[in-house]
Amino acid sequence: MNHWLEFFVHWASSLGLNYGFLLDAYPRSTLAQGALTTLWLCLLTIIGSLLTGLGLAALLTSGKRALAVPARVFIEVTRNTPTLVQLYCAFLVLNMLLNQAVGTANPLTPFAWVVIVISLHKGAFHAEALRAGIEAVPAVTLEAARSLAFSNRQLLWNVQLPLALRFALPSLINNLIDLVKMTAVASAIAVGDITYSAIMIWTQSDNVLELMILLLGFYGLLSFIVNCVGRYLEARLRMPGYGH
Amino acid sequence: MFERSPVTRLLPVMLGALISLAGTTAAHADATLDKIEQRHVLVVGVLLSGGPFGGIDPATQKPRGLNVDLAQELGRQLGAQVQLVPVLPANRVQFLQQGKVDLLIANMEWTPERGEILGSVPTPFYRVGGSAAVLKDSPIARWEDLKDQPVCTSQGSSYVKPLTEFGAQIKAFKSSSESLLALRGNNCVAAVHDATLINPLLADSAEWQGYRALTPELNPAPSVIWTRRGETDTQARLDPIVQELHRSGWLIEAQTRNHITPASPALVELQQKFQASGA
Repeated sequence: MNHWLEFFVHWASSLGLNYGFLLDAYPRSTLAQGALTTLWLCLLTIIGSLLTGLGLAALLTSGKRALAVPARVFIEVTRNTPTLVQLYCAFLVLNMLLNQAVGTANPLTPFAWVVIVISLHKGAFHAEALRAGIEAVPAVTLEAARSLAFSNRQLLWNVQLPLALRFALPSLINNLIDLVKMTAVASAIAVGDITYSAIMIWTQSDNVLELMILLLGFYGLLSFIVNCVGRYLEARLRMPGYGH
Repeated sequence: MFERSPVTRLLPVMLGALISLAGTTAAHADATLDKIEQRHVLVVGVLLSGGPFGGIDPATQKPRGLNVDLAQELGRQLGAQVQLVPVLPANRVQFLQQGKVDLLIANMEWTPERGEILGSVPTPFYRVGGSAAVLKDSPIARWEDLKDQPVCTSQGSSYVKPLTEFGAQIKAFKSSSESLLALRGNNCVAAVHDATLINPLLADSAEWQGYRALTPELNPAPSVIWTRRGETDTQARLDPIVQELHRSGWLIEAQTRNHITPASPALVELQQKFQASGA
């Protein structure tokens, strides 16, 4: 491992890039810890946002006004305001109020706030993608299912969602790639993700270019992995004669 | 068969001309001083994070503070029009390196690490150390008590290094305003910034009555005017101006005018030093 790192540092220096800090234990462990935090953030927000999206889409297409209207209002508010502003609002305002109410027993860490805010924000986008999928299920299919005495819940879970997922998958993957990049806002409230680690290193020394290249490479790789998983799922879930 | 077009034939000549042109422009060593003297424009990066050093006047929406006054005074003495560019602690070095600003007067203290990547005017215009805002009933009495405690500060602060050495868990926000809000939200036990920001805030603001400042100052260091690395001509031009501002008492007066409390003993010390050497 160390041998490869030294080789890389040597190779980069022949290009005029100074990656010497990677051989230093402190910045290297800071960056590695940051990368791990970003991976956790991605994993938790992907799960959180998909669950939120599913819930909101179910409310939107329930056909009951009392459920659909609040869901619509939530989506419009969440979708139409910037993530960074929402994060500041949640962490600097809501969290402060919560602290004043319950004192030091407040269980929500900055990390938890990032997960909550990004999950809700991206969940609103997922909901719209899933709604498009659900509404694209042909009416005759639904009639056929109803004639087999499916309840509303069974209809959604066994008929609409499996078909809707196939329609919505490209949009959902698109949203998830955006979500991976969005986790960088965590650095604004001092959650130690990889962007934050890089800022902390480059404000103390002169290696902005090297760290920027590293950051771009890392996020690029992460988004590419999400993209590949999406492509695999699309191929895997393809139904001959339906959609394609 | 194949004949060179006139353009291709001239190519070596044109290339040669271009290279020699590039050579003549490179002969000017210090672009900043050239620019100031020829175009009469001085672009200064200032930190406007609030407080007596730099902030926005709520009444006029114009920048004010010691940073701003000093920038204007330098411009007046150099006969140049001053353009102020607001910078943040996390990006100020890049603004200077990339030429978006010519000088930085941005509460940035001199440290050996910074001295390696940038140049600076040798005479400091102020000396400032760090202070921590903590709750009045907090058990923290000394800097060593911050070990393993969450401490808020801003990204790019020069106190990150000494605080890490005390073993504090650093939480660095985009700027001091977010850091101070985070302290009030109990996300950390202390917020560490320049004493010149913390002291007036705790003294003047009713919202901060429940807090006190930690003394003595952490790592007092000289505040200097920063230039790009190697711009010795600009530094040599500005150094006597800063010395004169000390000697004439302009800086002490600017400190009073901007309500910077407590008054810095370093300014008096420097004034005496230059009055003695100048007389």
